[in-house]
This record gives sequence, C-alpha cells and structure tokens, in this order.
Amino acid sequence: MSNEVFKDASKMSGGRDSDDAIIVIDGVYKRFKEFEALKNINMQVGRREVVVVIGPSGSGKSTLIRCINRLEAHDDGHILVDGTALTTDIRNIQEIRKETGMVFQNFNLFPHLTVLTNVAIGPRRVRGLSKSASEELAMELLTRVKIPEQADKFPAQLSGGQQQRVALARALAMTPKVMLFDEPTSALDPEMINEVLDAMKELAQDGMTMIVVTHEMGFAREVADRVVFMDKGEIVEVGTPSEIFDNPKEERTKKFLSQIL
Amino acid sequence: MITWIRRNLFRSITDSILTVVSASILGFVVLQVFQFVFITGRWEIIQVNLKILLVGRFPEDMMFLVGFSILATCFSIASLASGVSRTVETTPRLAGRLWELFQRFGLIIATSAFLIVLAGDLDAILFGAYVLLAILGGRLFGRARRNASLRKLPGWLWVTINATLPLVLIFLTMGQAALEEWGGFLINFYLAVVSIALSFPLGVLLALGRRSTLPLLRWLCTAYIELLRGAPLFVLLLLAGVALEFFIPASIAPDAIFRAVTVFTLFTAAYLAEVIRGGLQSIPKGQAEAGKALGLSTFKITFLITLPQALRNVIPAQIGQFISLFKDTTLAGVALSVFDLLNVGTAITKQDDYLGQGLIYESLAFVGLLFWVGSYVMSRESQRIEKKLGVGIR
Ligand SMILES: Nc1ncnc2c1ncn2[C@@H]1O[C@H](COP(=O)(O)OP(=O)(O)OP(=O)(O)O)[C@@H](O)[C@H]1O
Ligand SMILES: [Mg+2]
Repeated sequence: MSNEVFKDASKMSGGRDSDDAIIVIDGVYKRFKEFEALKNINMQVGRREVVVVIGPSGSGKSTLIRCINRLEAHDDGHILVDGTALTTDIRNIQEIRKETGMVFQNFNLFPHLTVLTNVAIGPRRVRGLSKSASEELAMELLTRVKIPEQADKFPAQLSGGQQQRVALARALAMTPKVMLFDEPTSALDPEMINEVLDAMKELAQDGMTMIVVTHEMGFAREVADRVVFMDKGEIVEVGTPSEIFDNPKEERTKKFLSQIL
Repeated sequence: MITWIRRNLFRSITDSILTVVSASILGFVVLQVFQFVFITGRWEIIQVNLKILLVGRFPEDMMFLVGFSILATCFSIASLASGVSRTVETTPRLAGRLWELFQRFGLIIATSAFLIVLAGDLDAILFGAYVLLAILGGRLFGRARRNASLRKLPGWLWVTINATLPLVLIFLTMGQAALEEWGGFLINFYLAVVSIALSFPLGVLLALGRRSTLPLLRWLCTAYIELLRGAPLFVLLLLAGVALEFFIPASIAPDAIFRAVTVFTLFTAAYLAEVIRGGLQSIPKGQAEAGKALGLSTFKITFLITLPQALRNVIPAQIGQFISLFKDTTLAGVALSVFDLLNVGTAITKQDDYLGQGLIYESLAFVGLLFWVGSYVMSRESQRIEKKLGVGIR
C-alpha cells in the first residue's frame, strides 16, 4: 500500500502528522444490508495518543472501533494499523489483532477459566510462551491492575469492577501497541466505575495509545488528547477536550452535549 | 410433623381423597413388589444362571481379560469425572459427607453386594474389591491432573489416555472369544462403552461441521444428521444385519457386534451433534469476539473457548443420549440375534428345569434392575458433574 492514498486522510484528520500515526482510517464505509453504519470515516491516531469517541446511541462508535481489529469488516476505504493494512488476508488480520487489545462493555471474560488463565491464555496460545512464563506474566499484570489475590478464582466470583480489570490485564498481556475500549464502564455499578477508570488513566500515563468509547465526560476531559464526536455514522467534530466541551462548533455537538451534561 | 401432614396432604376434601387414593395404590404396589421379591419370587433361576446372564459362555481362562476391561472402564470413568470438575465444595460435617457418599455409591455398592451374594464365591468378592480400587485409582489420576503432579500433561493427552485404555482392553477381550461364546450383560456393557467413546468425538465433529463456513462440509454434516435422526434405530440395526453384505464380501464381513457398534455409534453421534450444536449456539458471541481480539485462531477459539463451555452446558442432554444408548443396546439382541442380557434372560426361562413355570418375571426383573441401576448411576453422576462445574452459576 502506497502512502499516496493517505495523503488526503492526513489533511482531513486534523490530527497529527501521518508519519506519527499508528492508526490510519481513510474513507471507511460500513454497511449492514442497506443501512450505513459508518459513512466516509477519516481519522488518524498518533502514537501515545488518547482519543475519546463520544456520540449518541447508534451513531456507530462501536462499529468504528470494531473495524480497527476486524471484528467487523469495513466495506470501503482503508485501515492501517502500525503499517499493516487490514485486508481479507487472515495473516494481516491476525498480525493486527496481536498488536491491538480490546476491552468490551460486558467484559467477555472466559467463564470456564480461572482469572489467571484468562490473562495467560493470550501470551501462551498466541505468542507461544511456556505455561510458567505466561502465568508469571499474567501474575505481573494482575498485580498491575491491583487484583493479584483473585488469580485462582473464576470470573463469576469477582465484582464487575474486578472483572473489567481482569479483562484489561488480559488485553495488556499481549503487550499491544494500541488499546481499544468500548464503553468499559457502562455495565458497572457506579461505585466500581472509578477503579476501572483509574486503571485506564494509569495506562494512559504510561504512554499507551488508546481509543476509548465512553460516556464518562470527566475521564474524556482529563485524559483525552482529542475528542471525536460521532453522529449517524459520521465524524461530526474533532478537537481537544476543551474545544469540544467548552466551545463546540457544530449544532449537533452542542445538542448532544446539552442533553448529557 | 402432624401439622405438615395436615397442611400438605389433607388441606381440602379433594386433597384428602387424592391422598388416600394414591396412598392405597402406593401401598398396594409396594406390598406386591415386596411379596414378589421376598416371598413368591423364585430367584434360583437367576442364581444358577448368573454367569450366563453376565458374560455368556465366555471361556473361563480368558475371564481375567473381561475383568481387566471392566476395571479399566471404571478407572477411566472415575478419572474423567474427577478430572474435569474443579474446586470440590466439601461439606464440613462428617454426616453430610457420608450422606453424599451414600447417595453416590449406595446403589452401586448395594447392587454389587447383591450380585456377590448371588454368586456366592470368593472371586466375586475379590473382584468387587478390585473395582473399588480401580475407581479410587481413577480418582487419583483425575485429581493429579488438576493439582500439581500432572499439570504438565496436556489435557488432550490425558483425555486420550482415559478414552483409549478401556477401548483397547475391550477390543482385546472381544477378540479372544467367538461371538457364540460370549454374551449376556457384557455385550450390552461393551456396546454401550465403545459406542459412547466413539460417538462422542464424532458428534463433536459433526456439530462443528454443521456450523462450518464451508458450504459443502456444512451441507454434508446436515444431511448426515438429518438422515440418521429420521431413521428408526431398530430399522438401522436390521439393515446392518443384511445390508453390509452388499458392500463387503461375506468372508471378511464383520460380526454382529461390530455392526451393532457401528450403528449405535453413527446413530448416537447424530443426536449428540444436535445436542452439542445447541450448546455451541448458547455461547454468547462475545466469547468468540474476545478470543479474536486476542489474536487466537478460529481453531483455538473453538477448542479452548467455545466448545468447552458448550459441552459443559449440555452435560445433562449428552448423558441422556448415553443413557438411551445404553438401554437401546437390547435392540441389538433382537435385531442382530446377539445374545445380550435380554436375550439370555428370556432364553434361560426355556431351560428344561424352568420351562413353563412362568419365571419370565424373575428374569425380566433382574434384567431391568441391571439397566435401571446403570442408567440411574449415569444420571446421578451427570447431575453431580453439572453441579460441580457450576452450570447456571458461571
Ligand atoms: N450486526 C449488526 N447488524 C445490523 N445492524 C447493526 C449491527 N451492528 C450494529 N448495527 C447498527 O449500526 C448502528 C451503529 O451501531 P453501533 O453499535 O456502532 O452504535 P454505538 O454508537 O456503539 O451505539 P451505543 O452507544 O448504543 O453502543 C446502529 O444503528 C445499529 O443498529
Ligand atoms: Mg456501542
């Protein structure tokens, strides 16, 4: 894939220089039958950048980040992750999935495996580490998300916040270059939201590249380098948190913010 | 107690009538059964023919192989049962634990004791003790995998060891005697064990094939499953009796036992496939997605994530299929003229000593008892494993 294709994209993104970009999304469309869930999405994410995606329900936020690791296949346009183009080639897809971690709204932990095995399964079965090495790594990550003592339990025995931190550790165990979060706190009781957000903040401080779909505006304001507002499958407005929250330019952005704030 | 009776049994006139009627029916049945078992029943027909009922005329000098194959089966089942389950929730009180053990093993021990008393010789007692040892050994082997000592042994290898051990011994034993010589319960037992062990992997593959993205494979598996589920088992068995000759020259045609095993395996696999497919469908899409997001291959997602959960979710239905199979082995006796337990059971009533004395009740009662005990134990164990694996909790 030549760089020419992306020249336009870098202009449109309003983000950083394309040499710096770890994710390049260029003219991407996604259709479910006739329905267009994504319409001409252009966007770049720089290394170590934290991008928060906001927007009303059904606006295509999940679809967008699920296209980045090919949980959904886009119909038109190009997606590049760390220099690898997402095509139908399964090797490319696997390559990109190894480099991107994902945290889901409802955790999606493997209920039949212990917490430790949940975290160790990626390094062991994808990266081919030995059992002991993968478990050692898993233990380190569980310590990092502050639940090493839960290692031998099963997911169902943990609180929602703990489960989501296990899910975070599981994704991090693959030492990804990019982390994708799809409403990671939406399924949590209010008192557990902060423990997950704190873990995410720490991750951002450590320099992880992150794309976060969330309704936590406080988190967006504090952690995001850029905020992307989506509506009806389109990117409506992109800017720094203060640009978006304090000075929205687009009518739709204003309307959305007035509804949720 | 009295208030409980009043509240639950005699709350209204209709209740009272129903209670009295059902109590009298129950009392009558119990009395009749009691009378039959302990007073009028002539059980010497069972006692005299015990060996024939259990193993037919199996050559005496090869009996040790039969013994080994049974021990190996007990070992493997115990090992698999305790190896797949985890975190034993021990009841703290001794009485509770004893009650648990009684529930699990009471019926087996009672039946074994009954058979030993009937057989009335030292060998039978010894064999009972060996069976117990085999079960204990199996549990140790199963637990060793879960705990430290056998952690390094890969899961698939452990399962393969457990599955092949009894099969090898059973095949070895079957080769030792001509079909005319052996029979009785041993046939039903072997048919069931071998068909279960073979139909399970086949059922898994069929279920996966039916969900495959390759159209031809999916179509073939679907056709196979629907074809076999649509055919009556008895007809299939009759067909196997005659039809194989069309394809294979008579001189090397397999004997009736192998035909029966083939039919039972193919038939049960079709039903199992549907059960397992149902289990696979019950796994949320997010599970496979989480696997994909980690970069796991489709193969690994299936065998590490979705299939284990699916199999766990449908344990009762799977065991249900195995119970049907176990009982249906009597059909082989009729369809393929194999001397299985049921056939032997009816044949002994026609012996000179017993002809025309109506001892078919005693005989059928014994046949029924063995099948009932086997089925009941399987069903109980399935409930236990289900509970241990926390189905419905996790
Ligand atoms: N598998 C699918 N089949 C058909 N339509 C779909 C599918 N997935 C998503 N859609 C549609 O695409 C649109 C965008 O969905 P998406 O899940 O991306 O929205 P979202 O912004 O994440 O919303 P929410 O905030 O509710 O999660 C919605 O209208 C949805 O109905
Ligand atoms: Mg969403």
